[in-house]
Amino acid sequence: MTDTTPPTPSRNLSFEALSNYAVIAAFVLIVVFFAIFADGFLSGENLMNLVLNKVVILAIVALGMTLVIAAGGIDLSVGVSVDLSSMIFIMMIAAGMSGVFAVAGGLAAAICVGIVNAILINRLKINPFLATLGVLFIGETVQRVSTQGGVPIYLTRGEYSAPFDAIVRTGLFGVPTPVIVLIVAALAVYIALHRSVFGRYVSALGAAPDVVRYSGIRVPLHMSMVFIACAAISGVAGILLSSTVRSYVPFSGDAFLLDAIGATFIGTAISAERRPSVFGTLLGVLLLAVMRNGLLLIGWNFFWQQVGIGVLVFLVLGVSFGLRRRND
Amino acid sequence: MTAIADGPPRAGAHRGRNISKLVIRLGAFVGFALIVIYFAFTARGFTTPYNLTNIVEQSTILGILAYGMTLVFAGTGTDVQRGGIDLSIAANAGLCAAVYAVLMRAGYGGYVAVPAALVTGMAVGALNGFAVVALRIMPLLATLAVMNIAEGLELTLTENTVVAVNSPLIDTLAFGRFLGISTLSWVFVIVSLALIWIAHYSRTGLRLYAVGGHAEAARAAGVRNGSYVYGAYIGAGLLAGLTSILIVARLSSSTPGTGQMLLPVLAAALLGTVFSRRLIPTIGGTLLAALFIGTLANGFQLLGISSYWVSGVQGALILVVVAATSFAKNS
Repeated sequence: MTDTTPPTPSRNLSFEALSNYAVIAAFVLIVVFFAIFADGFLSGENLMNLVLNKVVILAIVALGMTLVIAAGGIDLSVGVSVDLSSMIFIMMIAAGMSGVFAVAGGLAAAICVGIVNAILINRLKINPFLATLGVLFIGETVQRVSTQGGVPIYLTRGEYSAPFDAIVRTGLFGVPTPVIVLIVAALAVYIALHRSVFGRYVSALGAAPDVVRYSGIRVPLHMSMVFIACAAISGVAGILLSSTVRSYVPFSGDAFLLDAIGATFIGTAISAERRPSVFGTLLGVLLLAVMRNGLLLIGWNFFWQQVGIGVLVFLVLGVSFGLRRRND
Repeated sequence: MTAIADGPPRAGAHRGRNISKLVIRLGAFVGFALIVIYFAFTARGFTTPYNLTNIVEQSTILGILAYGMTLVFAGTGTDVQRGGIDLSIAANAGLCAAVYAVLMRAGYGGYVAVPAALVTGMAVGALNGFAVVALRIMPLLATLAVMNIAEGLELTLTENTVVAVNSPLIDTLAFGRFLGISTLSWVFVIVSLALIWIAHYSRTGLRLYAVGGHAEAARAAGVRNGSYVYGAYIGAGLLAGLTSILIVARLSSSTPGTGQMLLPVLAAALLGTVFSRRLIPTIGGTLLAALFIGTLANGFQLLGISSYWVSGVQGALILVVVAATSFAKNS
């Protein structure tokens, strides 16, 4: 992770160590707190629900976002990739096609979003923030037009092929399929970002874009691949989302956007150079999910949960960044 | 977009650069003008004075919020990841509207409720400033957390319901007219002029842009960078508080969902850079961008285009304008 950036001048080691572990420590503290004060937090049922409903899909989207942010970009259109892949997948299943084709169709739709982003950013030289913002607006229209203004599509029992259903619901060797998909996705992004030449170029692109350009590395190629990969990964999340709830609800992907960005940046707090990493992002996702679940269990209503999460994230980051920079 | 960070122009390239910059600058204006002309010919009633003031009125809320974002961009640079941004601005306006409406409902007069809303906005802005300047949290992340807090507090105050407001101030803002122009539009004009003066003709504005454009140089020149960044966030918060009163006036109530304006506000502030000479965030550019977005929405309405298409066509047009600009800039 850190090998692409030059070594930083020596700092007070104890402070540095403290600041890098602040997020991890905060996570442990929060888990312990809820384990003591929230009834049923540690029950198998709750943890399963936490992982399946709050963690998996957000984590997959956030993994895609991690790649993009590591490359120095940002993707505001991940929600569109989630939604379009979910929409095409459900429409194809509803039309009676087999699950394999529907999955391929959904992924293809998401990859199209990635290709559009790549063209806008690399060919037309639009800044990633604006380009993906534009795609977000266009994605809204695409969904409205294809669903008569935003009518959800629900699958009936008959339309949903039984074996496919079984795979999604039960998984392999007792591990639910969404969890397996998350593990595979995390490993794939880990290898791509932290253990390959591609990942080094991508990280370098984020840390020192000019150096990369002058080194003769093909910036547009790498940028394009990052955005297409992010869209494809979000597409996987969309298919998982719609196959767990057996429906497509327009604009439901938008809910993941800010959390995915938040989780990725919270994750940067664990690296000395404040760079995104797969481990950091997963920790960020877990932190957000545990806080939401725990606050719910100790009886806070949705409104106060929102405030609580904001304050907690604020405190965690304040401690982590505040300790870090005090001795610059 | 990061034109502020551009190095000094190379000797001998001055003339070429100036011409290409002129093309860029005019390009965005020509695009805007063409769209206005198109609507003037195709959309019935587009050019009536009533409709034109209506466009200004429709752009007021978006515009003033986008000014707040522009101030933050100006003081911190437009690099989205490393530079500043205020994701909390729309949620902040929603919170201020809730504070105002709830206080009015509880029987406090406007003399209490209006300052309370403005102070709330500034307090949220100060929290952003504290997180960014004192704690040095990345602005994108700090303001995201603050956005959550503001949204949560708004929901807690209003319990996710519509809080109706009746007051003379609201009536004046919503229905009053002066010299044939609605009060809301006057507010927009006055705020725009005041901010153009502060940002572009005052010493404070010059220093704000210095801090955003080249922090090191500003520090070396003796500018206290931190206070300007604080100032930008608090200013953005104050504008959010001001907008909240206008939102309540337009809807006669505080209504959940103001936070949804975040993306249009970002679009306006970023699009505004293509309407400026050096492709940097400016108040005038943001004003034009807000009017551009308002014109599009209005024209579509008059043409009877299904509302399904509005956001998509807006998104596509924004992309076309920005792409044309960046093409002109690079060629």
